[in-house]
Amino acid sequence: MRARALVVLVCFVGLLAPPATAQEAEALKKEIEQLRKQLESVTERLRRLEAQPAPVTPPPAPSPTGPPAMAPPPPGVSLAELARPRQPFSLYAQRGAGQLLFDIGVTGDFVGNLTQSNVEKAQGGTFAGQENRFFPREVELSLFGQIDPYAYAEVRIEAGEDQRGADTGVSLAEASVTLLTLPYGTQAKFGQVRNRFGYSNVIHEHDLPWIDRPNVLRNFLGAEGLKEKGVEVTIVPDLPFYLEGLAGVFNGDNETAFGHSTLRVPLFTGRLRTFLELGDENAVQLGMSVASGETTEKQRDTLLGWEGRYKYRPEGWLHPLLTVTGEAIYSLRRVLVEVDTDGDGLTDLIRKRERDRFGWYAGAEVQPFRRWAAGVRYDWSEFPATPGKERSVEPYITFWPSEFLRFRLAYKNTDRTHRETPDLNDGSAKRVDEILFQGTFILGAHPAHPF
Amino acid sequence: MRRPRLVVGSILMTLALLAPGTEAAKKLRVVATIPDLKSLTEAVGGDLVEVDALTRGTQNFHEAEVRPSMMLKLRRADALIENGVELDAWADVAVLGANNPNIVRGAAGRIEISRGISLLEVPSTRVDRSMGDVHPLGNPHFSLDPGLAPIITQNIVDGLARLSPDDRAVLESNRRAFLERLDREMARWNKIMEPVRGAKVIAYHPDVIYFLTRFGLVQVGTLEDRPGIPPSPQHLVQIIRLIKAEGVKVILVEPWNDLKLAERVAAEAGAKAFVFASAVGAVKGADNYISAIEFNVTALAQALK
Repeated sequence: MRARALVVLVCFVGLLAPPATAQEAEALKKEIEQLRKQLESVTERLRRLEAQPAPVTPPPAPSPTGPPAMAPPPPGVSLAELARPRQPFSLYAQRGAGQLLFDIGVTGDFVGNLTQSNVEKAQGGTFAGQENRFFPREVELSLFGQIDPYAYAEVRIEAGEDQRGADTGVSLAEASVTLLTLPYGTQAKFGQVRNRFGYSNVIHEHDLPWIDRPNVLRNFLGAEGLKEKGVEVTIVPDLPFYLEGLAGVFNGDNETAFGHSTLRVPLFTGRLRTFLELGDENAVQLGMSVASGETTEKQRDTLLGWEGRYKYRPEGWLHPLLTVTGEAIYSLRRVLVEVDTDGDGLTDLIRKRERDRFGWYAGAEVQPFRRWAAGVRYDWSEFPATPGKERSVEPYITFWPSEFLRFRLAYKNTDRTHRETPDLNDGSAKRVDEILFQGTFILGAHPAHPF
Repeated sequence: MRRPRLVVGSILMTLALLAPGTEAAKKLRVVATIPDLKSLTEAVGGDLVEVDALTRGTQNFHEAEVRPSMMLKLRRADALIENGVELDAWADVAVLGANNPNIVRGAAGRIEISRGISLLEVPSTRVDRSMGDVHPLGNPHFSLDPGLAPIITQNIVDGLARLSPDDRAVLESNRRAFLERLDREMARWNKIMEPVRGAKVIAYHPDVIYFLTRFGLVQVGTLEDRPGIPPSPQHLVQIIRLIKAEGVKVILVEPWNDLKLAERVAAEAGAKAFVFASAVGAVKGADNYISAIEFNVTALAQALK
């Protein structure tokens, strides 16, 4: 009934209303059209705003002076509490509930290689026993952070396929504590560590500037490099230039170079490292290392190392244009040699012999674009205990889709006079051609890379 | 008899000559991770401090390379002033190599200036790296927002006063003088920016949002696809469309980013790209905190006319 009355009323008003002119109708149409466009524009803008993941909160009013414009404290924390001098453990309280007290990161490093069949048969490739395969070399879980105000800890657990088709083994790569508050510019680190011997030994596989560890390091320190359990102390004296001194005492578990594995006759390490900045664009790091211990034959082995790294980074660049890296190792090793004095094919006596061996590598990398780099490395190395030498040339190219993902492709040509263990392949695999490829990712936290 | 007197006299004269050196040695040796904080610490610390910075204004602070020269500066430092909120997380690696207990995490000499800052762009949803180099705690590029200088300088004063309580009054007085000057400049800057308030801009990297918000400007997009991820061609096409649709006049480029690319996009879309002072020392004439803001205000007001 009420609706019917309303319709009648509308008709009555419509009849009473003066007739609109054609011009007014046209103006009305235009206005409606304009409003429609405005509505569309606002709708579109609203849609875009809603699509944004993180809404922006406006900051406080622009008043530089006046009372200290402190933002409201987090719930449960009073202003007086905030104003109190910071206590050691309050650092993490600001990050909110549920925050871990340390950082976690995962890195994955997958490598593959293609080579000749005789090299595969002789296991003479860069990744011995893994020729013509693609495999996880190192998947690493890193946990690191401050233990308390005085110490920092780092634990790295890694898994990787060591042998063809074998189950992926999990092992402790590193676990160390660094004491940060010692006097006179000193720090002490104890646990299982990658030794700071030369430039590249301390670097984990996924962080290396090449796909593979240089030949000289693999020949003199083994495929995994020098990784020991013990203590090392560093000192950075208060000088006008940077100088870091290091001294360490370790078990000597590395079987390639040492292997006596006892603190009664420990492995001693030492290193001196300095750094020169030649203006804002050029920088050089130089170092010298020593490691001396006993081999499984209870004979002394002393390794001397030299390292150099140069970077040229043009002003304002995010990355270096040119990086040159080189290392050399000189090994003074005493070995036991069986001597057949009368030629009857039987060992008559065992003599001690000195084996002085040498090896080095040098590499240059050019990075003209942020995401692309190309370089080449040349390796030359003798074998520490057996005769013979090898040299390699390895050009490579690197692509980073982002700073957390990296791909590398390399060609490596190796030429040997002998194999280090010639009985394995009857002298085969003296000339090796390999295509190497690598995919590496970083998930979560990862400490910044030093120079 | 005369000779001992001569020796004693010489020693006293030598000590007198060394006296200014002793005075200099009393100064707090402060290292700031970024030049903006160096400039603010100089303003607050005055003659009480000797300040150095680990990075230059022309660098990308996210990707600073940890050099032993940083460790050398940190080796002697009484205090390390850091931005926090993950902008300068690399400082931890430099500190680890400096062997200086004064500045390790938790020590009195470790001063983080983000305390009390209301951060912008704090993600309200789950974040992961598919969104680029996102900062879960919020956008860390707040140091060049003059409106936040009171909080930052208060944190610096509090930190330095922890190391040298007797100097708190002088530090507070220096801070007040600096903020009064900043207030006067702010009134002038607001006047300059008034005609362009509400204007829309594009930033290359999302590091200017605090400054833009402070002066009433609107950031409608970034040239980077996602933070830290270089732009894809598709993203650039979208940005060009956006610039045209929204009438954006300006693309702001950091000195370390690709100006040529920004200029190409700007030319295509009918806008203008220019390098702004993303930090103190990023461009010529932006040698301190106030001159860096002055540069940005003047350049933006001119470009947006």
